[in-house]
Amino acid sequence: MHVPLGAYLVISSALFFIGVAGVLTRRNAVVILMCVELMLNAANLALVAFSRRFGAIDQRGSVFVVFVFVIAAAEVAVGLAIVLSAYRNRPTVDVDEVRALKG
Amino acid sequence: MFDLIEPIVFAILAVGIVGAAAAVVLIDRITSAALLMAFTFLCVAGMFLLLGAEAVALFQVLIYVGAITVLILYGVMFTPQRHRAYALFFQKQTPLAGVVVALIALPVLVFSFSFKDAPDLQPRGGDLIPLATSLFGDYAFPFEVASVLLLAAMVGAIVLVRRDEDEELP
Repeated sequence: MHVPLGAYLVISSALFFIGVAGVLTRRNAVVILMCVELMLNAANLALVAFSRRFGAIDQRGSVFVVFVFVIAAAEVAVGLAIVLSAYRNRPTVDVDEVRALKG
Repeated sequence: MFDLIEPIVFAILAVGIVGAAAAVVLIDRITSAALLMAFTFLCVAGMFLLLGAEAVALFQVLIYVGAITVLILYGVMFTPQRHRAYALFFQKQTPLAGVVVALIALPVLVFSFSFKDAPDLQPRGGDLIPLATSLFGDYAFPFEVASVLLLAAMVGAIVLVRRDEDEELP
């Protein structure tokens, strides 16, 4: 038995929308970064599933997964730096209470 | 009997991904959320293995389960966490967020299930050779740009977190 491509895409979109719900409802900046990482990972899963199973496309869809890895690493490093420097100015990581990003 | 192995492993990984990701959103203890996020990444790496993309699964474990989880745990360590269990879901944004996400998610789930495999799909080997040939062939320039981006992000993160010397003076 063969797991169809659609099943992988359903898991990918479910993971993506769980991440969207987390970004929209959570107020802790670190948790919001975690949910953004979940969304990026859902995109990776869809890219790999298409590149391995969707015939006409060749296998090079996985290349973009490498670029997503790079962007995710840069994003989480800069995002945490912004959270930490905002926390130094005002001791909170609650995004409702951080209104001014200007140092 | 061996035909059932792939669907069973897929089902276990799918339950792990959806359950752990939902727990990341729902749980109030932030350290548990970070570790559950690492578990989600590990299950996604298992899905990559199931799809036959070993190199991507290896990168996933190295970068996501290793590096990004450690970075997030550093962020958890350096910031104070208040318990806001009741504030978590009773905010003014929550009903709107639920409606919007449900309205978009249901058609997308139905649409994504409608994709079919290629009919003449041959069993393919690992993904390391096509990944490497295209990464260092057609995509060599974006690869170099990505390394510059990583360098810029690293320098930017250091500059943002660095304390100024005269900031401590009265």
